[in-house]
Amino acid sequence: MLEVRDLTAGYGGVPVLRGVSLHIAKGEIVGLLGANNAGKTTLINALSGIVAPMSGRISLEGEDVTRLSAKARVRLGIIQVPEGRLVFPEMSVRENLLLGGINAAARGRRTTEMERVLDLFPRLRERFSQLAGTLSGGEQQMLAIGRGLMAGAKLLMLDEPSLGLSPRLVQHIFEIIERLNAAGLTILLVEQNLQLTLRYAGRCYVLERGQIVVEGAADAVRSDPRTRSAYLGL
Amino acid sequence: MDELLQALVEGILIGSTYGLIALGMGLVYGVSGIVNFSHGDFILLGMYMCLGLYSALTLDPYVSLIITLPAMTVVGALVYRFVIRPIASHHLLMVVQLTLGITLVIQSALLMVFGGQGQRTPSIVEAKLFVVGDVVMRGPQVIACLISFALAGALFVILRSTDVGRSIRAVHQNARAAALMGIDVGRVQTLAFAIGIGILAVAAALLAPGASIQPSDGLRYTVITLLVIVLGGMTNFVGIMLGGLVIGCSEALGTVYLSETLGSLLPYAIFVLIMLFRPRGLTWGAS
Repeated sequence: MLEVRDLTAGYGGVPVLRGVSLHIAKGEIVGLLGANNAGKTTLINALSGIVAPMSGRISLEGEDVTRLSAKARVRLGIIQVPEGRLVFPEMSVRENLLLGGINAAARGRRTTEMERVLDLFPRLRERFSQLAGTLSGGEQQMLAIGRGLMAGAKLLMLDEPSLGLSPRLVQHIFEIIERLNAAGLTILLVEQNLQLTLRYAGRCYVLERGQIVVEGAADAVRSDPRTRSAYLGL
Repeated sequence: MDELLQALVEGILIGSTYGLIALGMGLVYGVSGIVNFSHGDFILLGMYMCLGLYSALTLDPYVSLIITLPAMTVVGALVYRFVIRPIASHHLLMVVQLTLGITLVIQSALLMVFGGQGQRTPSIVEAKLFVVGDVVMRGPQVIACLISFALAGALFVILRSTDVGRSIRAVHQNARAAALMGIDVGRVQTLAFAIGIGILAVAAALLAPGASIQPSDGLRYTVITLLVIVLGGMTNFVGIMLGGLVIGCSEALGTVYLSETLGSLLPYAIFVLIMLFRPRGLTWGAS
């Protein structure tokens, strides 16, 4: 579904990612692991079109999207749920969800999509007209995911969804992610939390200083010594 | 007592237009973090357009709006897209310098075309007076007040409950998240600037009837606008309108109770006083 070849990208002419290649098949949960500053967020932003690639190629379902704007990629269904949720704090849950589906491809289906999201997260239905800034961290994560679903995601890229949440909430969020995947959604899970990601993802990539150092099935990645060294910086 | 009432009414009449003008600046500041120091000069540009249209076609300022509103909106969009946006990501001081530069360009252009002597644009409503009890209201000011509140209300509704309005608020609250929703942040910023300048076209038509203008008058409006939006808490809609009324009333009270020169200082004195006690603006904490 998504294919990245030799991607080099960074900020102000300085590459953060150097020659990254990866692929995600339809219906997969793929984990992207790595320590802080390994380049995970840069990669996901390059996929979203927020960071312009210096070289390399990104294609979605066989079509080259490397030069497409962030707006065009959202319309194609490449949706990012950003690190730290980034909900719109002074807007209600309802308005946040409406904004999720503001792109031209999703706008017409907002009413039905919203029902689906509210069924998935009953908590959001209870908080429907509350300002997003007043929600708890877990509720904000639910809202951020719901907003991503509203956009008509084909590939949902979650950046650190476990960040700052209690273990019980993390469990709940990941069960939802698993349920969405079972319903056919392709997911790229960007996480620092190694154990958690290996449990849910079928395949994983490990990034270290802008390059992929380990890739393969979760079990193989778990036992690979390079995974450990990528985390400990040895 | 009559004097006080008269001053307050005049203050509210003019203050509502100050509020409207400041809304334009607040809108721009909210989505792009830019304080446009040429704001007042765009008002003058609008007023001179009314003057020009009167001289050429004897159009009443209100009728001129058919031309000045779309023209100013387009000018706003072009100025943002091709002049401000290319350096918007640079240091704040550079943007400040740039907008100050625009001030000089507009002033000099107006000076070249219209000359430096005071000129006025007549209107059919100019001499009309409304008398309620002992209070006398000038026609253009009454119209200005009504239209200012109506336009502010319309803007409020658009921002509250349309997709365009939500996009603008989304960019204001978190530009990165807005981009991730597929909102073209650059386009929203251009749109906001265009609306901001379009509002000034309306404000110019409201202020123009009967008023004597000079090319250098823009600065006065810029300073008033800055007072108002700081009072209003920069981006708070209701706060900005309230700030406009406060500044309008202090100006009117100053002119009635103090001398002409001393009176024009009153808005600044009141501004400083309010800022001492409510440094984040009138409505902070109540938004």
